[in-house]
Amino acid sequence: MGGTASKLPKDLLSEYQELTFLTKQEILLAHKRFSELQGRENGPYSSRVSMEKVLTLPELKSNPFRKRICHVFSTSDLRDGSLTFEDFLDLLSAFSDSATLEIKSHYAFRIFDFDDDGTLDARDLEKLVNCLTGETDDTRLTVEEMRQLISNILEESDIDKDGTVNLSEFQHVISRSPDFVSSFKIVL
Amino acid sequence: MDEPDASRQQRNGPAADTRMHGVFTDADTGRLTYALSLSDSCLAVQRINPPSSPPSSSSEHLDLRDCLGSRAHRGEREDQGAYLCAYFYPYRRRWMSSSPVRQRDERRFRLVLNTEDNNDDDEEEEEEEDVNLREAERWARAIRNNTARSTGNTHGVLFSEVGRPCGVMVLVNPQSGRGQAMALYNGHVQRMLTEADIPHTLVITERPNHARDLVRNADLTQWDALVILSGDGLLFEVVNGLMERQDWEKAIQTPLGILPGGSGNALAASLHYYTRASPVCGEDLLTSCGFQLCKGQTSALDLISIRLSSGARLFSFLSLAWGFVADVDIESEQFRQIGDLRFLLGTLVRLASLRVYQGKLAFLPAENQPETHSGENQLLDHLLVPLDQPVPQDWTVVEEREFVLVLAMFQSHLSEDLTAAPDARSDDGTMHLLYVTAGISRAALLRLFRAMQSGTHLDLGCPHLVYRRARALRLEPLSPAGVMTVDGERVEYGPVQAQVHRGVARLIAT
Repeated sequence: MGGTASKLPKDLLSEYQELTFLTKQEILLAHKRFSELQGRENGPYSSRVSMEKVLTLPELKSNPFRKRICHVFSTSDLRDGSLTFEDFLDLLSAFSDSATLEIKSHYAFRIFDFDDDGTLDARDLEKLVNCLTGETDDTRLTVEEMRQLISNILEESDIDKDGTVNLSEFQHVISRSPDFVSSFKIVL
Repeated sequence: MDEPDASRQQRNGPAADTRMHGVFTDADTGRLTYALSLSDSCLAVQRINPPSSPPSSSSEHLDLRDCLGSRAHRGEREDQGAYLCAYFYPYRRRWMSSSPVRQRDERRFRLVLNTEDNNDDDEEEEEEEDVNLREAERWARAIRNNTARSTGNTHGVLFSEVGRPCGVMVLVNPQSGRGQAMALYNGHVQRMLTEADIPHTLVITERPNHARDLVRNADLTQWDALVILSGDGLLFEVVNGLMERQDWEKAIQTPLGILPGGSGNALAASLHYYTRASPVCGEDLLTSCGFQLCKGQTSALDLISIRLSSGARLFSFLSLAWGFVADVDIESEQFRQIGDLRFLLGTLVRLASLRVYQGKLAFLPAENQPETHSGENQLLDHLLVPLDQPVPQDWTVVEEREFVLVLAMFQSHLSEDLTAAPDARSDDGTMHLLYVTAGISRAALLRLFRAMQSGTHLDLGCPHLVYRRARALRLEPLSPAGVMTVDGERVEYGPVQAQVHRGVARLIAT
């Protein structure tokens, strides 16, 4: 394929700057990296990259939530986690330095909502914990520990006592975490 | 009967150990009879059954080291007897938890001395009442006296000093611990201080830095001690307020007491830990700390001078933290039991978005700096050089530049149930430096914090965790944004230096 990098039209570039938290440089870099994933330059901006390909990015490869992240930002009707360039920009925007606490906590919530039903119930929390504790026997929680942990979490976070953590309850917990914003980050 | 004459004892100054024997009944029904026997170390209570029953073998020995105080009072209206009360806080096992915990055990007895006459004459009745009361008071005094002596003398006993104590200032932040602090005062603290006969004044703080201003301007000659019924943050204000005074050298010698008021109780948990008792939380921790407070023994407290990049200087007694510090969210402390996995949603989310912090760390290893005093001005930070100069030769510069967390501990506990530095003591003149380098997996970090609940994280053999004892440190964060806390409170983010000053302050603790 050609040696020159594909160019992003100026009007699209400005539009993207308006619609995301990303700077011009960040958008151009994203474009470059996305094109590399597509395997060709000047690709149509609505064409999709498979989740498999997206997950080869070093910034995502070792993230325990990489699949959920793709699913959340994917606009594919097939629900296959594939990303268009604009989906990709949305992802980077939410994880950028400039994104606000509301945006980040909103997306964090959606990422942890494994069954996509709009609330974090015991099953979602269990999956979350398992993602973090790892798969090996000596790191996984026992049934009793898991039960106790989820019970503690719900007691702490579930203000309306409906057995699940909804978005605003989640955001309330996150707001007490002083460095959540700077930790919840993916930067190319 | 061989009781020494009480009045003779008083003339001779602090009494020798009083030994007494007497017969009392229980205060409620009057149907049970007890023989009480006071020795230098305990109050023996032997139940004497009515003569018709076989002799009972139930004899209790109440250890005076568990005693807070004793008092006597009259009976009501026609009751000619007098009452003797003694307040014990022995270690007892509750059936549900397996380890012993101090629990209140109030003993009340009624005393009526046998009199020959049975006169209805008013005057003689009053005399009889007085005789009973005087005898009960003699017992109460003797119990208090022997209790004070049985406590022993380490650095000095605060409340048995000559003359009547002026009293103690109890500072409360009513917002502390979701507003629990006042309930704890009314339900527990006031009672314990009264049982131990410690006059006290409650001072309610109305805003941040109120305590700091108050202490900076107070007439400290009026107070035997300053007690904080709140979180570590309030004590931080008090310590820094004292250090801001012109007469700081004397002011910082004011004994300080801490009672866990519901949030940020790392120091209280540490002091409890140093007594080697099993870990407790909530009201049991309050009872343990309240008991230590009422016993009035003092010990030394290290202060760590912290120099921020702005030039500001703070005094810390608990910790300096940078990076991932689980449980910075101290408000969630009430949601855990000992031994259970303590992590909550905030911690999990923080773990999920684990990041790495770039920075330079250097420290002066404890073995390179044996204890020395810097001369007249003990608070000169003689171990530190200005930030624009390289650290002294005998310092260790950490090679790694990427960290998950850096934690300098000055007490054993990072929070109520994280024993981050199990070997630390309040007066060991040492910073316990723990750092975790980048590359650790989330699972391993979680395992680390789980082990920290039992203080066993150092035994895990985690290659990313390093533990060193130090006297001073320099930490220069290179990452643009992050959080740095001193004693759990956020401070300005930037290069920081710190040095230990041994035993500058005084704590009320066993």
